[in-house]
Amino acid sequence: MSRFLQAAAYGVVQGGLLGLVAVGFSLVWGVMNVVNFSHGALAVAGAYVAWILNVRFGLDPFLAIPVVAVALFAFGYVVQRGLINLVINAPIFLTLLLTFGLNLVILNGLQLLFKADDRTIDTSYASQSFAIGAVNVPYGRLAACFLALGITVALALLMSRTRLGHAIGATGMDRGAARLMGIRARHIYAVTFGIAAALAGVAGTMIATVGSFNPTTTPGQLTLDAFVISVLGGLGNMYGALVGGLVLGIAESLGGLLLTGTWVNAIAMAVLIITLIIRPSGLIGKALYGGRVEV
Amino acid sequence: MAEILRGRARSRQGLFREWIRTRTPANSWPALVGLAVFVAMLGLQQLIEPGTQRLLTSVFLFVALAQAWNIIGGYTGYASFGQVAFFGLGAYTVAVLMNSYHVSFWAALPVAVVVGVVFAVAIGVPLLRLRGHYFAIATLGAAEGAREVINNLTSVTGGGGGITIPTFGTDAPTPYFGKPGFYLAFLVLAAVSVALATVLARSRFGYSMVAVHEDEDAAGAIGINTTVVKVVAFGVSAAIVACAGAFYAFQQIEFYPTDVFDASFTVLMVIMVVIGGSGSVGGPLVGAVGLQLLSQFLRVNLGSFNQLIFGAIIVLVVVFFPQGVVIYVRDAWRTRHFSVLDNVRRYRL
Repeated sequence: MSRFLQAAAYGVVQGGLLGLVAVGFSLVWGVMNVVNFSHGALAVAGAYVAWILNVRFGLDPFLAIPVVAVALFAFGYVVQRGLINLVINAPIFLTLLLTFGLNLVILNGLQLLFKADDRTIDTSYASQSFAIGAVNVPYGRLAACFLALGITVALALLMSRTRLGHAIGATGMDRGAARLMGIRARHIYAVTFGIAAALAGVAGTMIATVGSFNPTTTPGQLTLDAFVISVLGGLGNMYGALVGGLVLGIAESLGGLLLTGTWVNAIAMAVLIITLIIRPSGLIGKALYGGRVEV
Repeated sequence: MAEILRGRARSRQGLFREWIRTRTPANSWPALVGLAVFVAMLGLQQLIEPGTQRLLTSVFLFVALAQAWNIIGGYTGYASFGQVAFFGLGAYTVAVLMNSYHVSFWAALPVAVVVGVVFAVAIGVPLLRLRGHYFAIATLGAAEGAREVINNLTSVTGGGGGITIPTFGTDAPTPYFGKPGFYLAFLVLAAVSVALATVLARSRFGYSMVAVHEDEDAAGAIGINTTVVKVVAFGVSAAIVACAGAFYAFQQIEFYPTDVFDASFTVLMVIMVVIGGSGSVGGPLVGAVGLQLLSQFLRVNLGSFNQLIFGAIIVLVVVFFPQGVVIYVRDAWRTRHFSVLDNVRRYRL
């Protein structure tokens, strides 16, 4: 029984983190109809920024988060404004292809700069944990999970309470009408992508703190997880991404306990496909941009 | 199938006479050029060294794969990101049959194609109801799932430990083709897939696919059974890919699930078609030949920078020729309007 509780607790803290990875991905997909293949690469880029700050200046990863967020926001803004906006009206697989090319450039750039080694950001608290009954909860993972929760709530508030959030939502629902209302769609799209990139960078920093990362396998895994979570949660739905992350995190850790080999991956894919067929708008509520016709 | 291709029933003889009667230079040049290229490639084989022969063999493989993706992704407009599932299933069918049951390759090949088509129909019927990104993600998931199933059925497939096809000695059900043999095999495969795509594109069924691509609801309204069109297009595409996978398995002799279910096969198919020009026969051909030669050139000359440059080239081509190189050249030639900058404005926000 305690093994189950331990696995479930691990699944919850891991799921929160995965949710943070997926929030930005889901936002970009929901608002701009762009599936960002380079999302995992952006997360790893953020992890490297925090890693350098930690190794060179001894900065704590949690304190490095603002720097990472600003750097990645700037990068994301420029990429969207200068590249993705150029093909935003093209058929879907063109944007997929563009972000795939971008993914190759970022990953191989990182690999040339930092080698393909596994890296981790060392902190004094990441390996320590406290016990609730028989369940061990590591401090680092718990803090990362709470941070993910906080950021998701903050983003949801931004989307629902501020002018910027309303502009992003409006552009996502009907770009033509939004532009007639005086919203600068190019700028709004760039800001949206910048926010997504910043969130990816923060998530990458957290992953580097509680685990390890490398430029070859981590990005692909993160992008795939973000795919599954976004679909589970419904596109552009912040809380949906969080719930999707928790579902995936718990399913993976419990599945790892119950199933042998890599069957758990097959189960995750089955869940994804069944969700798509039965409930394409996601598990909770209705999708924010569900009314839009996809072309 | 024949019914769909032909449109309405006619006697075979009458059809052939009409086909002969309607031949003109304008409509027979693709066949003649194709034949000439095929013969030229056969002649070229005698001249080139083994390294170049291997490179061209991989070019032929990708021509076939790109043509196959173009049928479902280009003509029908359903961007499948799971085509590699059929490749892997074809490869594993052949390998398991040859390894465990000592079936000859030529008997295993049709079985592989059937397995690919059956899987395509099985996942196609539910998944082809999804549109846009949803279909892309669902097929991606289906391919990942297929890989994991093969990976975990250790008793049948050997699982993650890989599988080996017996190719030498008395144990071998079919003697190994060798480099010249595979050059020929993949050349024929590429030629057949190009020919199939050409015929399909000009048939009634081809126009149905384009109609589904342009506006699925309108296509349904004028009496096209869109479900049948989509599933058949998916099945034809899967058949070519599974066939390519079968030949690839025999060529590789030994492989792992991660090799033949590698998602980069799918991504390469998509890139080649889109960069060449989707929804045309020439596009995938140009894309596959150009990109495969380019990536080999970069690998030889740029060392560790090759992937970086490859990615940058993809980004630039997507931005400058979003409709594909072949279609850009065709339209530019027709309209005498060659400005690349106007082309960039095409899909800009």
